[in-house]
Amino acid sequence: MRKISRMTAVTLSLLLLLSLTGCKASDGKTHLTFQIWDVYQRPGMQAMCDAYTAQHPDVVIDVQATSWGEYWTKLEAAAESSTLPDIFWMHTNQLLYYADFGMLADVTHLYDDVSDDYYEEHFSEISRSNASGSDGKLYGVPKDKDNGHLVYNKEMFDAAGVGYPNDDWTWDDLVSASEKIYKTTGKYGFMAYNDDQLGYWPFVYQAGGYILNDDRTKAGYTQPASVKGIEFYVGMQDCDWCPTQTYFTETTPATAFFSQVGAMYMEGNWNLPQLMENYPEMRGKWDIAKLPKCPDPVSGDGRATMSNGLCYSTGAHGKQLEAALDVIKFFGTEEAQRIQGENGAAIPAYLGAEETWRNAFDAYDEKLDLDIIFEQFDYAVQAVYNSASPVWKSQVLDQLTKVYSGDQDLMTGLEHMQKIVDTETARKLAED
Amino acid sequence: MKKGKISTAARREQAWGYLMIAPTIIGLIVLNVWPFIQTIYASFCKHLGFGHYKFVGLENYVSMFQDTDFWRATGNTLIFCVLTVPVGIFISLLVAILLNAKVKFKGGFRTIFFLPMVCAPAAVTMVWRWIFNSEYGILNQIFGSHIAWITDPKVALISCAIVAVWSSIGYDAVLLLSGLQNISKSYYEAASIDGASKITQFFKITLPMVSPTLFVTMIMRLMTSLKVYDLIYMMVEETNPALTSVQSLIYLFYRESFVAGSRGLGSAIAVWTVLIIGVATVFQFIGQKKWVNYEV
Repeated sequence: MRKISRMTAVTLSLLLLLSLTGCKASDGKTHLTFQIWDVYQRPGMQAMCDAYTAQHPDVVIDVQATSWGEYWTKLEAAAESSTLPDIFWMHTNQLLYYADFGMLADVTHLYDDVSDDYYEEHFSEISRSNASGSDGKLYGVPKDKDNGHLVYNKEMFDAAGVGYPNDDWTWDDLVSASEKIYKTTGKYGFMAYNDDQLGYWPFVYQAGGYILNDDRTKAGYTQPASVKGIEFYVGMQDCDWCPTQTYFTETTPATAFFSQVGAMYMEGNWNLPQLMENYPEMRGKWDIAKLPKCPDPVSGDGRATMSNGLCYSTGAHGKQLEAALDVIKFFGTEEAQRIQGENGAAIPAYLGAEETWRNAFDAYDEKLDLDIIFEQFDYAVQAVYNSASPVWKSQVLDQLTKVYSGDQDLMTGLEHMQKIVDTETARKLAED
Repeated sequence: MKKGKISTAARREQAWGYLMIAPTIIGLIVLNVWPFIQTIYASFCKHLGFGHYKFVGLENYVSMFQDTDFWRATGNTLIFCVLTVPVGIFISLLVAILLNAKVKFKGGFRTIFFLPMVCAPAAVTMVWRWIFNSEYGILNQIFGSHIAWITDPKVALISCAIVAVWSSIGYDAVLLLSGLQNISKSYYEAASIDGASKITQFFKITLPMVSPTLFVTMIMRLMTSLKVYDLIYMMVEETNPALTSVQSLIYLFYRESFVAGSRGLGSAIAVWTVLIIGVATVFQFIGQKKWVNYEV
């Protein structure tokens, strides 16, 4: 009796073990996972996958969405244990870290059967650069591009008798409009939030400064032009018409704007479709405009906005590398990029397919001045990053937070920021 | 029975015993002991990326001890403990005594006090964030004050402590309640006959009799407070100007390890936290001899 029960126990445990390993699909199809961090883009990604699987009925793609914060923790753990998703989004902040470590598959020659210069023909230099590793090879197929712009409340401008922001707006106009709106309506003017890409970065470039030099080895925080841009941006917080960072901790600029507490803030175009959807009662009351320019830049014409772009990547050692590569090859075609744009997921990186993104707003009678986003690409600056970004990015933000809270003055903060970026970058370069 | 001469029956029983505890022991070793050893090793290494480490000796500890944010985090954690443990335990004991008394709707009260324990910590903090909101929060509305509860560096840690105490009362009170209920009624009857007042009864009977439970509760509460992370993480975001005045050791560990990617330094912070907890626990065990009563 006892022997039998022991046998049963052993058999049951074996069965349990087998069921753990037996995750292999039984339908004979190739199952691929596709990991993304933006729930709002899920329909667009799903539509692309559907288009692919319609042509390849033997492939099943599972689109999985997590939050931005969770995404990178998960992805790094997955990379460590060689269980990366078959396909995933890659962000410029992280691409070099992954690519330089040999985690990503090289896709430079993915389209050689179509054209040797496929990437050059169909994607902008910024898009290609965003997908390139330190060795110049491509580790992702460009997905989209974006930029930062102004969002303003038309009713508040009308109430204050101020003209809407236009192409000729300068920093001075931003300030005077903010002052007038605050005086006449009691609402906040431009809400300058402690952020980089949607914060002080574009102001630095407008003033003719830079965050990283051309070969991305040294920071430019203490350059006079950079100081000018950051000083102006951070200084806005001291004006009555701008809420403090303390305020933003509890209320994001977007929340404040759509609760009609403030008249202007800086937004990334990728958020526009969901803002239209989430605030139906605000439709028609707001519009978008180009970022104001620096009236007296140290160099350049005073115009700038930050542009970033994602790409589709796959792990270098994936078990289903061939299948995954074929899918991301499709994601880089005009057909797939158009599907992405038409579903309002993001502005396609594919040159000539960008305008499909306008479809995202077709459902609404109230129109936004979407032209300005496409026009801003003419002078957009590539979002700032280098291979040490993951290390310095949060430290630099910490320093700026200390400037905002009055723990240190601006120049001390900038010197710290300069030092952090320079040392972390040098250390990273020495390691490689 | 002499040593080394165990009967086959006893040996078989022993084998079964080991087999029975194996799942727990294996789990402990795989999930707790081994990672702990790895953490100690990692604290002497630099993380190169994706699980690759390079031995650097004491470098992490040197830079950790030179970091002002680290000392502030240590200070914050200790202040947080001082704010939460004594106050929390005192209120919990009070609640437990009241719940043990003859009051109407006792079951209802017990449920209400235990409710915070059932709620997800993330949900609790989200609600408290609204209560604390300086512009629209109910707290400032009631008192007509303009205190920036979560963003003023001087106040934020106290706000976090309030939430921590609030959410821990229920659990601690239930533990203490079980301790109180184990006290035989006859002691109180005898004391009453002898003419002891309620206050005297509390100090001479209740407190000594409940002291073992109180001790366990205190150790647990102190450890939880030293390891505080989720609550502060949810209350105070990384862009909050009060961050450095609130950031606990484990919060700093998280930011170093997972945001900045320097897991070696993160591991060093974790080892330091373990040391602090160890020292605190040793002192408590030494101290218990003076006040904990194990004789019934």
